[in-house]
Amino acid sequence: MDRIARIDMGAAGGPKVTFEEVGEYAGLGGRALTSLVIATEVHPLCHPLGAENKLIFAPGMLSGTTGSMTGRLSVGCKSPLTGTIKESNAGGQAAQVLARIGYAAVILEGKPAGDDLYKIIINKDGITVEVDNSLQLMDNYPLVEKLRKEYGDKVAYITIGSAGERQLLAASIACTDPELRPTRHCGRGGVGAVMGAKRVKAIILDDAGMKMRPAKEPEKFRDANRKFVEGLRKHPVTGEGLPAYGTNVLTNVLNEAGGYPTRNFKGGVFEGSAKLSGEAQAELEVKRGGTATHGCHRGCVIQCSGIFNDKDGNYVTKQPEYETVWSHGGHCGIDDLDTVAKLDYMDDNFGLDTIEMGVTIGVAMDAGLAEFGDREAAIRLMEEVGKGTPLGRVLGCGAEITGKVFGVEKVPVVKGQALPAYDPRPIQGIGVTYATTTQGADHTAGYAIATNILKVGGDVDPLKTEGQVELSRNLQIATAAIDSTGMCLFIAFAIMDQPETFQALLDMLGAFYGITMTGDDVVALGKKVLSAERDFNKRAGFTKEHDRLPRFFYTDPIAPHNQTFSVPDEELDQLFNW
Amino acid sequence: MEAPLIHLTLTLPSSLIGEFFPILQQGFLVTAHVGCTLQRLLCRQWGIAPDYVATRITTIFLDSKATDNVETAIVRDGATIALSGAMPGLVGATMRRGGHLAAMRGAMTHQETAADATDRIGTVRVKLFNLLLTELGPVFLKRGILMGCSDVISFFRERDETFWESCDGGNINGTPVGAGLLRTTQPLCVGGSVRLTVNFR
Ligand code: SF4
Repeated sequence: MDRIARIDMGAAGGPKVTFEEVGEYAGLGGRALTSLVIATEVHPLCHPLGAENKLIFAPGMLSGTTGSMTGRLSVGCKSPLTGTIKESNAGGQAAQVLARIGYAAVILEGKPAGDDLYKIIINKDGITVEVDNSLQLMDNYPLVEKLRKEYGDKVAYITIGSAGERQLLAASIACTDPELRPTRHCGRGGVGAVMGAKRVKAIILDDAGMKMRPAKEPEKFRDANRKFVEGLRKHPVTGEGLPAYGTNVLTNVLNEAGGYPTRNFKGGVFEGSAKLSGEAQAELEVKRGGTATHGCHRGCVIQCSGIFNDKDGNYVTKQPEYETVWSHGGHCGIDDLDTVAKLDYMDDNFGLDTIEMGVTIGVAMDAGLAEFGDREAAIRLMEEVGKGTPLGRVLGCGAEITGKVFGVEKVPVVKGQALPAYDPRPIQGIGVTYATTTQGADHTAGYAIATNILKVGGDVDPLKTEGQVELSRNLQIATAAIDSTGMCLFIAFAIMDQPETFQALLDMLGAFYGITMTGDDVVALGKKVLSAERDFNKRAGFTKEHDRLPRFFYTDPIAPHNQTFSVPDEELDQLFNW
Repeated sequence: MEAPLIHLTLTLPSSLIGEFFPILQQGFLVTAHVGCTLQRLLCRQWGIAPDYVATRITTIFLDSKATDNVETAIVRDGATIALSGAMPGLVGATMRRGGHLAAMRGAMTHQETAADATDRIGTVRVKLFNLLLTELGPVFLKRGILMGCSDVISFFRERDETFWESCDGGNINGTPVGAGLLRTTQPLCVGGSVRLTVNFR
């Protein structure tokens, strides 16, 4: 990972590839790299779908090594959905392979003048960019099948479906899993539309002839990795709960807490939640010959994913995540896992963010385009997106645009991005994160819950409600750092509860780079990333008034707790003061 | 006149515990001595080891409010108690008992009040989630849970061949009943209540 490749898609005479040393970006990876490149090199007022925007693919700092859980790929750009800086990350095999080939980042720049569609092949011999118009408007599953015939099964594919090609603002970028299914998506923020604007349909990553990235201190690295894996295996969340039930284990708990947004955030409890729960999902998957335990990339020891089959035992999709089951399920008043699985497949196939699309369909239902709970209608609306009809294009541009087009007053978005599956009225602290993150409403922005160990900003009294802003700040700092390592965020519990597991992570980073890494260094990295992102957003025209939830969260109490969001604006404005 | 309580006992292989997950997640009624603390109810009445309560039941909701202190929270007649094992994610950490992110919850934390908490026999609704389904589910089913007769009838109707082939039958009010007859649901009258006990072998 000592080189950066730049591909100018708009160069005179066709796309031009150049290589450079990592230079000022040395030692960075993942979100740190994507965000610093954007903050440094992209004009903050550029049109996200124009030639001035850049699309950066960066494996994490530990991707491509023998370290466990290190397979996150960060994709960054100015977001066409939010207008802010964007980092969207996914698992799958791509990060590991790209890192092993030797790139810290591949940066797509410019924009071709014509309608030609390109594929990019990256291997040990270099990078080639080829026109392939036979791929036009193909969706992810058939697209990968076609590419496999040409490039085989020993590669990783990064692709966009028809949604990305049409530059729909909810479009995602798909990465293939170990079985070469396009199931792992950089979903949020419309990054797929930026890839579509650059007319790149597929990136084929081939690491044949390349080795694992070697650590500076191999013994120490191996030892630290062993301790890290032991820590993950022995913790009840990472060693038992996530492997058994996946993230959808949260459905029952959110519902019980009255924080499960139902029928476009009209209630906090869904009567059909038990049918959608992770527990029910795991039972069904196993009964139908799928699996409730599966890793999205080789080297994952948690394995929070699974395989969802239909009643005849045929593959439908990977195990839908909690946020997907919520957005296509309870948010739309739908209590059927088969419908959710079908919609998840359609999202993956067309190349769309499952959160944005589920929320959008719920908003469309609120507008009267269909009844809440109408399964067939939800599928019909998604088909419109796949076909690229005028209605489909509106829906494919997300909840905010759909709400505007159909006159819906209460649309759950922050900075244009749909809120995920946690109502910020009963769970106020998550509302702080939704409102203030640099990325638009995003639950993962404040996910790295190891802040008690990092001691970011000192200890916070959990019984003081004003601690919410401080906690959210700490979480956002810690998350920005973890997102840079290439580590899956689900390691967070084990490192929060087990100091020795957190130390093992620091030791892995230290041994790999031949440095001593402390908690303070992690905090400093997180702050550096967030400061750069915040600065970009400021220059792009975002002010503190954008750091707010939609008004109805302040005015409409939600049952059963009958609460509104009550964190004062002045407190929200303190979040980035450190 | 109120329909009499039917005592129904089933004997099943332990591999069939999953069949009861929907009931266990949605909640079942149990009779209990109410007006006491959660700790007393969980440990003294239901026989759950204090260590298990402290380390394995990491999240507890009492009437939809996240509860931090089992030693002070009082269980009243008609209460709903949801018990969960460790949960992923920020919200998982936020809901966790006594966790350092409890402040993220805002006002949905259980606060004990001085409202009447008379010590008497009552009923509480219990919900079990995730890891606790397999660990505590058999314990509650062995002790007996209260269900509406129509819910038991629906439960039986939704079971497939595998369930009935493995079912050893049971007894109703002390009289043995074969699996075949149970499957017809004839011995269960609509409208009454059932105390269902399941012995797993
Ligand atoms: S824990 Fe889940 S999301 Fe994370 S790497 Fe493993 S399978 Fe992928």
